[in-house]
Amino acid sequence: MGTDAHPRRARSVAPEPEWFKSAVFYEVLVRAFSDSDGDGTGDLRGLADKLDYLAWLGVDCLWLPPFYDSPLRDGGYDISDFRRVLPEFGTVEDFVYLLDQAHSRGMRVITDLVLNHTSDAHRWFQESRRDPTGPYGDFYVWADTDEGYSDARIIFVDTETSNWTFDPVRGQFYWHRFFSHQPDLNYENPAVTEAMIDVLRFWLDLGIDGFRLDAVPYLFEQEGTNCENLKPTHDFLRTCRKVVDDEYPGTVLLAEANQWPADVVEYFGDKTVGGDECHMAFHFPLMPRIFMAVRRESRFPISEILAQTPAIPDGCQWGIFLRNHDELTLEMVTDDERDYMYAEYATDPRMKANIGIRRRLAPLLDNDRDQQELFTAMLLSLPGSPVLYYGDEIGMGDNIWLGDRDAVRTPMQWSPDRNAGFSRCDPARLYLPTIADPVYGYQGVNIESQMGNTSSLLHWTRRMLQVRTRHTAFGLGEFIELGASNPTILAYLRRHRREDGTEDLVMCVNNLSRFPQPVELDLSEFAGHTPVELTGCVQFPPIGELPYLLTLPGHGFYWFQLAEIERGDGS
Amino acid sequence: MTALVDALGDTLRQWLPAQRWFAAKDSVVERVSAVRAHVLRDADPILVHTVVAVDLGAETQHYQLLLGLRPSLPEHLAHASIGCHEGMAVYDAAHDAEMLSLLLGLIASDSLVGELRFAAEPGVRLDPDLRPRPVLAEQSNTSVVYGQQYILKLFRRVSPGDNPDVSLHRALHSVDSEHIATPLGSVRAPLLGVDTDLVFLQEFLPAAADGWPMATASVRDLLAGTGGDAARVGGDFAAESFRLGQTVAALHADLRTALGETVTESGHAAELAATMHRRLDHALARAPELGRYEADIRAVYDRVAGAPGPMRVQRIHADLHLGQALRTPARWVVIDFEGEPAASRQDRETPCSPLRDVAGMLRSFDYAANHLLVGCAPAGGLHEQARLWTERNRTAFCDGYADLAEDPRADSALLDAFELDKAVYEVAYERTHRPTWVGIPLAAVDRLLGTQP
Repeated sequence: MGTDAHPRRARSVAPEPEWFKSAVFYEVLVRAFSDSDGDGTGDLRGLADKLDYLAWLGVDCLWLPPFYDSPLRDGGYDISDFRRVLPEFGTVEDFVYLLDQAHSRGMRVITDLVLNHTSDAHRWFQESRRDPTGPYGDFYVWADTDEGYSDARIIFVDTETSNWTFDPVRGQFYWHRFFSHQPDLNYENPAVTEAMIDVLRFWLDLGIDGFRLDAVPYLFEQEGTNCENLKPTHDFLRTCRKVVDDEYPGTVLLAEANQWPADVVEYFGDKTVGGDECHMAFHFPLMPRIFMAVRRESRFPISEILAQTPAIPDGCQWGIFLRNHDELTLEMVTDDERDYMYAEYATDPRMKANIGIRRRLAPLLDNDRDQQELFTAMLLSLPGSPVLYYGDEIGMGDNIWLGDRDAVRTPMQWSPDRNAGFSRCDPARLYLPTIADPVYGYQGVNIESQMGNTSSLLHWTRRMLQVRTRHTAFGLGEFIELGASNPTILAYLRRHRREDGTEDLVMCVNNLSRFPQPVELDLSEFAGHTPVELTGCVQFPPIGELPYLLTLPGHGFYWFQLAEIERGDGS
Repeated sequence: MTALVDALGDTLRQWLPAQRWFAAKDSVVERVSAVRAHVLRDADPILVHTVVAVDLGAETQHYQLLLGLRPSLPEHLAHASIGCHEGMAVYDAAHDAEMLSLLLGLIASDSLVGELRFAAEPGVRLDPDLRPRPVLAEQSNTSVVYGQQYILKLFRRVSPGDNPDVSLHRALHSVDSEHIATPLGSVRAPLLGVDTDLVFLQEFLPAAADGWPMATASVRDLLAGTGGDAARVGGDFAAESFRLGQTVAALHADLRTALGETVTESGHAAELAATMHRRLDHALARAPELGRYEADIRAVYDRVAGAPGPMRVQRIHADLHLGQALRTPARWVVIDFEGEPAASRQDRETPCSPLRDVAGMLRSFDYAANHLLVGCAPAGGLHEQARLWTERNRTAFCDGYADLAEDPRADSALLDAFELDKAVYEVAYERTHRPTWVGIPLAAVDRLLGTQP
C-alpha cells in the first residue's frame, strides 16, 4: 500500500443525515478483537483486518471504548493524553487507517470520550498539583476540606469511601466522582471547556463519526445538590452540539447517563428544535427489564418501563443493548428487583460486580438458543438503535474467575486454532486467557465454524440484521404496544409513515414464556391487511374483524409486515 | 313497537335460554313480553331497543335486548340470528358493528329517545366514529370495545334501580381513585317506575391483562420446574400480589372516602353469621359432601356471631377475584363492581366488612394454584408446590394490603369465616357446573377447619 493509505484524514462515508436512527451498532474492544503484531493484545490494525467480517455481518457503526493513552487503571477510561493512542493499540495514523477502511465499507466509527475526568497521570493534573497558580492550577476541583458537596452519592461503592481525596503534593483535597485516581475536571473554568472542545475537534478533524460521552451527568458541581444533571452541564453539552452541527455535520453525540428515562431525556435538549444536546442516549432501565420479563414470563416489566419513557425530540434516538463491556447494571431497578435479578442470573457471588452482574448474554441465558434469539429479536425491534456486544453474535461465554469486569472482555474467538485465532503469540502472553471451558470454549464456539454452518447463531443474527435493514419502521417507526389478554405475550407495532404518504407497518409478537402460548390480537383496524412473516415472506391468513389468533412456540417470536396485497392461489 | 316484541314472544322463549348471559337456565320460560321498546333506527337495518319480562312461573326476570331487523341476514351476522318477523330477519344487534356505532353516537350526543336517556358523563367528549368490536368471550353481560378506547357494557339481566357497577365507579371517580377505569357514559330508563342503569361506557385499557392468566403463568412455571422454593423460582408472582394487595387497600380507602364507613351495632355480627348459616343451608342441599363438615363450619360461624364489639362496614367490591383485576403497564386496576351475579340487588348494596373482598382474593389465589392440577393424582410433590405458591402469594397480598391499611390477618376469625363462606359457595357451584373442580374448594374447607381430607 502506498502513502495514500495513511492520510491524515480518513475518506468520508456517504453523507446520510440521521443515519444513527436506523444504524446497528457493534461495541468492540480494540484490545479484545484481533492482534496484528503478535504481542498478545488486540490493536487498531488487527481490528481493521476484521472489517470485512463486520461488514458481512451487517454492522453499520462500530463503537470503540477508549483507546487513548492511559495507565489502564480503569480499562482506559482513565485517560492520560487525549491526543495519543495507547502505544500497544497503535498510533493515531493507525486509527485514521481503521477509520478510512471502515468508511470505504460504508461503516462508521464512534468512540468514547471521557469528559468528566482524566487520569491522575495526565499532564494537566500533574501541573495542577505542582503549581496551583500556573495555567493548569484551576483545571481540577480543589478544596481545603473534604466537606463540600456532601449530598453527592459515591458511585464505586466497592472501592471508594469519599468523593474527595487528599493530595500531599498540593496539600489540598481534589474532587472525583469515580476512582480516586480519576480527578474530575473543573468545568467552571472556561479554559477547561475550551480545552475539551479542542479535543473533540482533534478527532473530528480525522473524520470520526461521533462520540459516546462517558459519565455526562457529573460535569458540574453545585453545593446543596446531588451534583448530577445540573443546568450548566446541559449548557456545556449544547455548546458541544453546536460545534458538531456547525463544523462537522453528520456526527453524533451519544450520552451515557445511567438515569431514569425521564431524567435522561433532558440530555436530548430542547424538544421544540428537535433536540439541541445529544443525538442519542442509552436507555439503561430497559435492559434489566427484558431479562426480568422473560424470567417472570410477563410482559409488564417491559411494558411498564416503556410506558414511563417520555417521547424524545424528532432528531433523537435511544441506544439500547442487552450486554456491554460493563457489568449488567442494576442501578435503575428497585432493591427488590435487584435481589430478584441476583437470585435469577447471578447464582454464584462471583458473578456480581459493583451493582450488577458480570456475565455475557449466552451464559446468562443458560446457553439456550431460543432465548438468545428471542432477546436479540427484541433488541432489534424495540424502539432505539441496537448495540451488539462483540462475541454475543456467536454466543461467546465468560470467565467469572477473572478480576473486575474482565469476565466479559476475553479474546474474540475466530477459529479453533491457537489463541482462538486472535493472536499468534505464546498463549501465556495473552492479555487475558481465552475461554476454554467445554461448553463455550473457542474450539467449539468460533466465527469460522459458525460461518460454515448456515443454521448457526451467527448466520441467524446476520439474517435478522438484513431483515431489519429492509424496514424503516424498526429505526424510524412509532412504537405502539398492542394489548393482548395473554400476559406472557409482548406484541407491538412499529409504524413509519414515509414522506410520500406510504407506510411501513411491522408487527412484532414475542412469547416471553418457555411454554407454547396462544394469543388473540385486536387488529380490526387493519382488516384486509395480510401479515407477511419477515424472514420467510410467508403470507399468514388475512386480518378480519375478529381477533387475530396466533400460536407461538416457547420463547418464540414473529416479525410481520402488515401489507395490503393481492392474494393469489397459483392460477 | 312492543307489539313487534310480543309477536316474537315464542321465538324469544326458545332463543333466550340458549344465551350465555341468561340466568335462569334451569327454569322453564313460560312467557316473554315487552316491558318497553324503542326504535333507535327506523331505516334498513331497523334497530329496536327493548326490555323484556321473562315469566318463569315462580319469578319474573328482566332482560335487555337490541333487536336488529333486515330483509336478509348477511353471512357475518348469521350466528346472531333470532328468527323472522313479517318477512324480516330478526337478529341480536349486539353483534352488528353498524348498530353498535349508532349506540355510541347516541351516547356521545346525549340523546333522548322516548324514555331512554343516553348521556356522556359530565365533561366527557366522546368520539362517535371509533370502530366497534363486540367482545366474543360472553360473560353475564355483553361488551363492546370501541377503537381500543372505550368499552361499553350492555347489562343483560336488569333489575330496577342503580347498578352498583355504575354507581360505585362514579363514586370512586369522584374521589379520583386511580385504580379504576374512568366512567364515560351511560344509558338509563325507568323500569317498573324506577330509574335504572341499562348501559355503562368506560375507558378501555388496551395494554392490560387480567390477573388470572398472570397468576396461572406463574404457577405453571413453578409446577414445570425442578422443585424447590416458590420464592426462588423465576416466575415468582409475589411482587405482583403485593401490589395487588396495596391496590385493594387503596380502593377500600377510596370507597370509604366517597361513601363513608359505618361502625355497626354489635348485632351486626349475629346477622352476618345468620346469612352465612343460610348460605350453608342452601349449599348443603346441592352438595351433600359438605355434610360431614357441617358441625365444624357452623361452629366457625357461631364464633363470628359471638364476637364482641362493633364491626366496621362499608361499600366493597363484593365479587373480587383475580379475573376482576387488570394489570396495566402503570398499575393494577379493579373492574366490574356489580357484585356476585347470584346475589340480590339488596345484598349487593349492603355495606360489609372489607375483609370479604380480601377473602375473595385469597380464594382466587387458591384456585389459580390448583386448577392446573385438576384430574392429577394427589401423589407427587405438585400439590405441595401449589400449596407453597398459594401460601407465598396470600402472604404477599396480605402484606401489601397491610402496607396501606390494617392487616387483614388481625381479625383472623372473621377473615377465615368469610373465606369458608366463599369456599362453601364454591363447593355448591362446582358440584353443579364443574364437578371435577370440586376438590379445590373442598380442600380449602379442610384447610380452614384444620381437618384432614
